[in-house]
Amino acid sequence: MTKEEVKGSAEEEQQAAQSKKALKKQQKEAEKAAKKAEKQAKLAADQQTTEEDDFAQDRYGVCVLLQSQEKLDRSLVRVCELTPERAGQTVWVRARIHTSRAKGKQCFLVLRQQQFNVQALVAVGERASKQMVKFAANITKESIVDVEAVVQKVEQKIESCTQQDIELHVQRLFVVSQAEPRLPLQLEDAVRPEVEGEEEGRATVNQDTRLDNRVIDLRTTTSQAIFRLQSGVCQLFRDTLTKKGFVEIQTPKIISAASEGGANVFTVSYFKTSAYLAQSPQLYKQMCICADFDKVFCVGPVFRAEDSNTHRHLTEFVGLDIEMAFNYHYHEVIDSITDTMVQIFKGLRDNFQTEIQTVGKQYPSEPFKFLEPTLRLEFKEAVALLRSAGVEMGDEEDLSTPNEKLLGRLVKEKYDTDFYVLDKYPLAVRPFYTMPDPHNAKYSNSYDMFMRGEEILSGAQRVHDAQLLTERALHHGIDLEKIKAYIDSFRYGAPPHAGGGIGLERVTMLYLGLHNVRQTSMFPRDPKRLTP
Amino acid sequence: MPMYQNGEVDPALKALEARQDEIMRKLYELKAAVDGLAKTVTTPDADMDVTTLTQTTTVSAFTGTADLDALLGKDPGALRDIVINANPASPPLSLLVLHGLLCQRYRVLSSVHVHSSVSSVPPQLLSCLGPRHTESYTRQCFQLGFTLIWKDVPKVQMKFSTQSMCPIEGEANVARFLFRLLGAEPKDPIVATQLDSWVDTAFFQLAEGGSKERATVLRSLNSALGRSIWLLGQEPSLADIVCACCILRDGQALSTPANVQRWLQACRNLEHFHCIAPLLQ
Repeated sequence: MTKEEVKGSAEEEQQAAQSKKALKKQQKEAEKAAKKAEKQAKLAADQQTTEEDDFAQDRYGVCVLLQSQEKLDRSLVRVCELTPERAGQTVWVRARIHTSRAKGKQCFLVLRQQQFNVQALVAVGERASKQMVKFAANITKESIVDVEAVVQKVEQKIESCTQQDIELHVQRLFVVSQAEPRLPLQLEDAVRPEVEGEEEGRATVNQDTRLDNRVIDLRTTTSQAIFRLQSGVCQLFRDTLTKKGFVEIQTPKIISAASEGGANVFTVSYFKTSAYLAQSPQLYKQMCICADFDKVFCVGPVFRAEDSNTHRHLTEFVGLDIEMAFNYHYHEVIDSITDTMVQIFKGLRDNFQTEIQTVGKQYPSEPFKFLEPTLRLEFKEAVALLRSAGVEMGDEEDLSTPNEKLLGRLVKEKYDTDFYVLDKYPLAVRPFYTMPDPHNAKYSNSYDMFMRGEEILSGAQRVHDAQLLTERALHHGIDLEKIKAYIDSFRYGAPPHAGGGIGLERVTMLYLGLHNVRQTSMFPRDPKRLTP
Repeated sequence: MPMYQNGEVDPALKALEARQDEIMRKLYELKAAVDGLAKTVTTPDADMDVTTLTQTTTVSAFTGTADLDALLGKDPGALRDIVINANPASPPLSLLVLHGLLCQRYRVLSSVHVHSSVSSVPPQLLSCLGPRHTESYTRQCFQLGFTLIWKDVPKVQMKFSTQSMCPIEGEANVARFLFRLLGAEPKDPIVATQLDSWVDTAFFQLAEGGSKERATVLRSLNSALGRSIWLLGQEPSLADIVCACCILRDGQALSTPANVQRWLQACRNLEHFHCIAPLLQ
């Protein structure tokens, strides 16, 4: 045989084989089609029976779009209020479907409302039909439902829920708002502690994905706790200062001149000229002092055009600013600010324990420690401490970020506090409006406050004498024309005053021992992120 | 008359010695009584005023020569701060007394803090180091810092130079350290060891021991105080401070023998003991 013939016969064989295969395939397909038809017929029959037999038809379904058609006299019970005391009661609850798990004639749902969740059970029986269970199992995750159910005590604690002693036996189930079936991230993945995720090889969600889908990420128990606690910080700040006789003020954020050098301000076009976004309400706070407001504070956005992509810098954050006139010594102001901080820490420790623990589950950290009254060290002592630890630095050198952290560790080791004040900074490293120290011209009446070794507040006694202020400005090479209005406000009698400002996000981050300031900013802004 | 007969001390000499001791003791009693009287006469609110007594009861034993640079190494260029963590449930009385003594010798910046691990502290514990120094805003002007932190700790703890020293645990050891800063420790090794032994007795047997053990210590205190006015001779020392503090801490419920009672009263009349009076009620 020639090669060609061989080839030909081989081809024939192949064809034969192929046709055999094709035949089989066809057969299979036919079978499939038959099955499909059968299934469809069955399904249709099922549906028919559904329509015919479903006695619970009006007990479940998808609601029409809620356009405020009716004003129902129905009170919705909050999930956190579902306790064993309510056992036996029939209640209405509105919650999200956190997870659903169908098992034969039963369907277990976990209903979530903010950081609380409860187990609900739809079981075939008197009140629910087979179709209703099926419907319940098919509701997409994160959909919002209205549920009428009986509260039942359970024998064994439900470990996976916050309401561990009871479960809900569902009688009616209506979908108020349906979620799309595919979620950009899974909530369980988003709350998984990082270490555990790595060990088990399970998915975690990285920061950018979280921030891109912030609305869903904010639903996690951790996020819920973080921002509830942050609201608490603001509330405690306001309450404490108001009690101390402070006045809350609002200052403009669009300003004509940068307060501290022009390098890190945002320029905005302002009709035919340009303006800047305020780096701090500094000037306005001081003007209020000159206008006899005595003690003021301000809660509002602050802008920094620093192109630094670090774990602790944002381009827009919420500043909590204090300015206060004092009698004889600027330590009166330090005492007032530190006491405010201590009141905040105490308030959080006493009223936000649930939130702190919730965050701790995902991001474990040591509880925040502090002293009352707050520890105050002087810059010289800090330098001595750092030198004893082997750091070489000059007397008038500013603290670098690593040295700041090291100092935090040294202070924690000796005094066991995460919060302290460092007083008497070298004059050379502070802005022009800082009051020099009367005993040593190299130092100044300025101070920083630290939480877990990171700076949260920078403040000082300000120069309230127009003459000295002009001198200091010239020394710093500042164009007097640009700050004329500022200097002028001190010409007509200005009380001695001092103040400082803290970043809300940073305080929340450091209090909870988190590692990135974006976690404590609801919609963070940094050089690379402008949405959402 | 020969002093020794057959290697034995003459009983007459012994009797003389005993008589002299007795006179000394009576003299001291008298002094304590007069001091007490002076206190009640000059100030109606006796416990509050310590300044009037400064001149009368200054103790020569605590004015030895000590130089902080020699004791603690060269000047770090910043405040030498002694941090003491103590539990408010059992205030370290002896350390408060020693603090008073340190204040007599050095410019001490004293401060009291409450750690976040304890929620509330009685007001007398917050003011136990006396009124705030008027110049407390200039930390650099002081020779020594004394920072007392009320904290949830099982044992009194002192932290000084964290880079080169481990934290010192136990009120006894902290007391020894503070006492040495006064430069008044006995030079004689035997007396020094006796002092250490009394300190141990105070904290292990008086403070922590059972009622039987305490009674034994009180008996030996009584006999020691029968021989001399103070535990280690003619001057009060750390031994007196710690033993007295440990007894005072338990309150007056104990039946104290006569010598001990007199000695306790003498201790309480010392100026630096006044700071613990408000804590004993």
